Amino acid sequence: MEHKLKQKDLWTMFWRLNTMRITLNYETLQGVGFMRAIAPALAKIYPNEADLKDALKRHLVFYNSHVIGDAAILGLTAAMEESTPPDEKEGINALKTGLMGPLAGLGDSLVKFTWVPIVGSIGASLAFSGSIVGPILMFVLYNIVNIFGRYYALVYGYKAGIDFLNKNQKTNAIQRISTMANVVGLMVVGALIATVIKVSTPVKIAVHSNLTGKVGGNTIALQAMFDKIMPSVLSLLVTIVVYLILKKTNGKHAAMLIIIMMILTVFLKYFGIV
Amino acid sequence: MKTIIITIMAFIFGIDDVSFKLFRRPLLIAPLIGWVLGNVQAGLVIGATLEIMWMGIGNVGAYMAPDLITGTIISTSLAIMSSTPHTSLSTMVATAVTLAVPTSILAQQLLVLIETVNCSLNGWAKHLADNGDVKGTVWLIYPPAILTGLARAVPTLIALEFGAGAIQQVIKSLPKFVIDGLSTSGSIIPAVGIALLMMSMIKKFELWMFLILGFILAAYLKLEVLPITLIAIVFAFLYEAATRKNMQPIAQASETVIKVDGEEEDTEGDYDL
Repeated sequence: MEHKLKQKDLWTMFWRLNTMRITLNYETLQGVGFMRAIAPALAKIYPNEADLKDALKRHLVFYNSHVIGDAAILGLTAAMEESTPPDEKEGINALKTGLMGPLAGLGDSLVKFTWVPIVGSIGASLAFSGSIVGPILMFVLYNIVNIFGRYYALVYGYKAGIDFLNKNQKTNAIQRISTMANVVGLMVVGALIATVIKVSTPVKIAVHSNLTGKVGGNTIALQAMFDKIMPSVLSLLVTIVVYLILKKTNGKHAAMLIIIMMILTVFLKYFGIV
Repeated sequence: MKTIIITIMAFIFGIDDVSFKLFRRPLLIAPLIGWVLGNVQAGLVIGATLEIMWMGIGNVGAYMAPDLITGTIISTSLAIMSSTPHTSLSTMVATAVTLAVPTSILAQQLLVLIETVNCSLNGWAKHLADNGDVKGTVWLIYPPAILTGLARAVPTLIALEFGAGAIQQVIKSLPKFVIDGLSTSGSIIPAVGIALLMMSMIKKFELWMFLILGFILAAYLKLEVLPITLIAIVFAFLYEAATRKNMQPIAQASETVIKVDGEEEDTEGDYDL
């Protein structure tokens, strides 16, 4: 099938895709941004003004997804607008709404929950040693996925068009990649618990020695004991406690929890416990 | 002069955060602030500390996270600006950590306000759609972009203009255990971000196993994050394949039912074994 949109039009869409989130609002979230992003494509697809107005209005509805998901959906929607017969246009919105949830989940778990923590911890460990390479490396690695991911998702969504959906129905690709991304993300998170969270205690316990009969002659560092049980065991405990608190409160009071933890740490420092 | 440069940076990074997202993490912003203020080393260490402290913090769905951009810019700038040649790096980090939390949370409220104000864009957009005015849609982003930029730049300007002296006094008068405690909290707070990640990722109980595996590889074997990621990819393939097979008998069963009418029943049957 001949594509109506040329490379130049895709660039316009890409540019507008990148500025989509600026219009984020509580009424339609990214609805305005999506309409704005697809408008130039619609102008090419519908030379007739009445059709164009209908199409623009069709996309001015609630919309929200992850930014790479946005790209794929934007491309796919343009392809659909181009290929569907006039009486089936309403299906396009059903498709958008159907895809935005799963693609948001996929984008979040691939980029936000996995890639950003990975490049962040690599960059931070270099930066701690005073190397400017840390932030530069993070910038490059993060933006390779950030920029190219968006661009290719847009072009792929448009070129593959409806094939994308048929293929996905057969291979269940979105679901499968999500499952994999979730596993990778969780292992990275597990690793971060041990490497990023640092809790230790300088407390020493006086032990009774049978030889001298004196209390306090020997001391055992509590931290050494913890390390024998399991390295980073305190980090794991703190994380699990925080997780349970957040789970109980549905994650609503994360900011409050951070402040409480700061105050608590200062108190513990005063008593020489941490 | 430096205050003006940083205010302009806050404006640009503020807009970048909602558009291209090139610089939206603390480690990418703080070293640049450090560079402007003539202390790249402090910028690097503060950036790394904040990056780790806010690990896992980010907008998910309609949830608006603390504003890392404003928080990072203000806290890094004030920590460096309020330092004297005698100030140790760890005091600067402690100052930054302490300031980052309240500034990020306060600045978040401004973003919520902007999202509310932005609702008026729907009316404008509808008007454009009604007229089929595609050319006009290009303007839709400019007012909210300027608003978002200002929401980051104005608090930065105020904080930098009036904050540095006050912060210096406060830091001087604080007892040592408070500074030490605050800087220690910087390496405990990431537990919140990580726990938030866990909340959105652990959908099934069996997935805890992968968290434990990642923890063991890092805690006992002392592996870095990158090799653990590579190992994780292997496990991800295996887990996905294993859980997918559980679904296949159903798919094959339904296929066989259909195939009964056809002639290829036998070959399918063999394949099952």
